[in-house]
Amino acid sequence: MTIKKTHNALIRPNRRLFLQGTAALAGASALAAPSIGRAQSKELYINSWGGPWLEAATENLFTPFTEATGIKVNTVSPVSFAKLAAQVRTGVYEFDVTTLGGGDIVAANNAGLLEPLEEPYPGGLFQNGVGSHAFATMMAWRTDKGWDETPQSWADFWDVERFPGGRSLQRYPARVLPLALLADGVAPEDLYPLDIDRAFAKLDEIKEHVRVWWTGGAQSTQILRDGEVDMIGIWHGRYFEAEDAGAPVAFTWNQAELDSAYWVVAKETPNMEAAKMFVDFATSAEPLAGFVAQANYGAMNPAADAFIPDSAKPRMPTAPGNVEMTFEQDMLNFGADPQEVAMRFDEWLAS
Amino acid sequence: MGLSLSALAERKTLWPWLLLAPLTIYLALFFLVPLVEVALMSVTEPRPGLANYEKVLTGSLYRKVFLNTFGTALLVTLCCLLVGYPLAYLMSTVSKRAAMGILLLITMSFWTSFLVRTYAWMVLLGNNGPVVWLMQTLGIAEPPPLLFTRFSSTLAMVHILAPYMIMNIYTVMQKIDPSLIRSAESMGAYGKSLFRHIYLPLTAPGIANGSVLVFVICLGFYVTPVLLGSPREQMAAGLIGNQIEQFLAFGLGSAMSIVLLVVTLVILGIYHRRFGLDKLYG
Repeated sequence: MTIKKTHNALIRPNRRLFLQGTAALAGASALAAPSIGRAQSKELYINSWGGPWLEAATENLFTPFTEATGIKVNTVSPVSFAKLAAQVRTGVYEFDVTTLGGGDIVAANNAGLLEPLEEPYPGGLFQNGVGSHAFATMMAWRTDKGWDETPQSWADFWDVERFPGGRSLQRYPARVLPLALLADGVAPEDLYPLDIDRAFAKLDEIKEHVRVWWTGGAQSTQILRDGEVDMIGIWHGRYFEAEDAGAPVAFTWNQAELDSAYWVVAKETPNMEAAKMFVDFATSAEPLAGFVAQANYGAMNPAADAFIPDSAKPRMPTAPGNVEMTFEQDMLNFGADPQEVAMRFDEWLAS
Repeated sequence: MGLSLSALAERKTLWPWLLLAPLTIYLALFFLVPLVEVALMSVTEPRPGLANYEKVLTGSLYRKVFLNTFGTALLVTLCCLLVGYPLAYLMSTVSKRAAMGILLLITMSFWTSFLVRTYAWMVLLGNNGPVVWLMQTLGIAEPPPLLFTRFSSTLAMVHILAPYMIMNIYTVMQKIDPSLIRSAESMGAYGKSLFRHIYLPLTAPGIANGSVLVFVICLGFYVTPVLLGSPREQMAAGLIGNQIEQFLAFGLGSAMSIVLLVVTLVILGIYHRRFGLDKLYG
């Protein structure tokens, strides 16, 4: 067993492993000495989404947390679900804390990758993750296309006669399949469990018009801002980036798909105590309010609402007036094994 | 006397190995051990057996992606050859100074990161980019989509890989003895026949080296096809990444990696029997 561990430690080099490895191999070497101290000192490694997320998190969560506790926060990019799994398998940790969306957290918890946590506020615990913020996948489009009408719904997204032009969606079937069903006329309250075959049949209709299945947030902003596609299903935060950059774009909250992000602690991480402290801090009312207000997310801890200025609300998917138009993902009632659906989606994409 | 001579000989044979030891140890630790681990994972994850290989070798998606990967690598290699051969020839005929100038221009693209070069193509070929503008100015009202097609990803990969081809061919061309050409001419070989019977065979090692390098590197391309290519034309590296990142299917991803590796080794093996691998290093 110990052999296995060393073995694994050797094959997945990363910065922290390198430091620890150096320490183990070189022992008393002067270079390695500080890293031995560091491995046990008060430091925390957090997996970062980059972009506007990182700015808001640094200002409202990381810096105040360090001020309050003396624990230094380091960020690690990119966000990687696979790395979370690899860490737990190998016992070599690159990050202690990360955020997962509703789709991944169920899979991660089933795979035993998450440290059990306690409920920090009523209703705040889901699949061993603490609810942080809600974000939306919504429809946005270029306003310089000379269309006679304004798109209203996902049915319009599918309507390439009335709204000709290139399309883009995220390469993530758990988010895209519900949109196809809405476009096919299913009512939001009847979506789950999903009719998978019907969703794929509807996707067939739009396939040749989807020029990009985007895989990264920055990529989605770029193709909308530069006009590479004319209509896109995009995370709302990434949309506002394009709008703030002065691109001729518009969006609707109508039929926007709400997903939630949860803070999770990597199972058996050596920095467990600091990691749990951070998750509590990041989901407590005031820091969370500052974070969501800056990054336009919706706070999942209701106590945060009191600290959110009204001026921030128009851009929040969960604010009154917006939230009524949205619908929520329901991963526990998905209707099929999400992994199998994802494999089928990959095959569909290549065919 | 005899004793010390043999001691010297022994030192001579040992010395290169000692010098190589740090590299050998490094490669064994950071390359061989992980590779063995990948191979192990491919037959143990999620349960022991050959199920992963069965999936990779029989699944229609995997077959399609592998075929596409090798097809793309072949296409890119051919394009690099078409672009690289004349350029290398030009470099071998101009003055040393001019050749250095061209070489500098070619290697300059090496100093820019992959990602930046990929994004540069997005800007150039984009809907609001200079290429589309030029086509519109020339009277093409509805230019065909350039970005996110097989065309754009192939173009970018050729751009990134062409220097390998050019430098390999140039090295060989430079060494060709001009008197060989002159004597061929004196025997009555001109133009096409001079090229086909004399020059082309002399440059063949450069073509073979460059092609193998470009082909093998291209097999593992990841970012460029994902960002620039069409969604239907997936490369094996992208699919492997997906298996691991999205599905946590470490076993299946490992099996695909091993298949890709074995096929690449087979190609290198064929090359070795034909030309000798040692030629790759000049």
